[in-house]
Amino acid sequence: MKNRLKVLRAERNWSQADLAERLEVSRQSVNAIETGKFDPSLPLAFKLARLFETTIEAIFEDEV
Amino acid sequence: MFCSVKSEVQRRFITRMWIVAPLCIVFSLAAGLGVKLGHLTGLPAYLLAVLPALPILGAIFYTGVYLDEEKDEFQRNLLVQSLLGGTGGTLAALQVWGNLEQLAGAPHLGLIWIYPMFWGFVLVSFPLVWLRYK
Repeated sequence: MKNRLKVLRAERNWSQADLAERLEVSRQSVNAIETGKFDPSLPLAFKLARLFETTIEAIFEDEV
Repeated sequence: MFCSVKSEVQRRFITRMWIVAPLCIVFSLAAGLGVKLGHLTGLPAYLLAVLPALPILGAIFYTGVYLDEEKDEFQRNLLVQSLLGGTGGTLAALQVWGNLEQLAGAPHLGLIWIYPMFWGFVLVSFPLVWLRYK
């Protein structure tokens, strides 16, 4: 699934490790989500949305 | 097992596995020796045969505890896929070896090798699964 995590992270000048710490997950998890190789669960997607103060749809793009 | 052990949950899991794995080897050797040397018969022999299964059950239990305690769904996913790889690899290898035994006269493979074989396949699977997400 495509996403804007890298952009949102860059806007805040956060590294993958910074974001991982805020989400309480591993850096590998952030990397896998960011590169679209792993789709997060709904609770983690909501956590991301809350962290970036936006909506899930604004972060993730459904590839239909 | 984990490429970079970071969380306390992962550390706890690995420590527990390092405790139960040697116990399994020691109990298996003890059971094997006890039976081979012929000193044990009857109930003590049965009890000794059951003993190696306890750390195996412990390992499976602690794996379940880890999957329950690990809050990082990606890490859970890596382990579950590796366990699936371990199960598939073991079943496939045993099927092939069973056929070889029956059809080509290959030497008999003792059932006690199934458990170490399973974890061997899990250990091989883990980096392969991890590479998928690199």
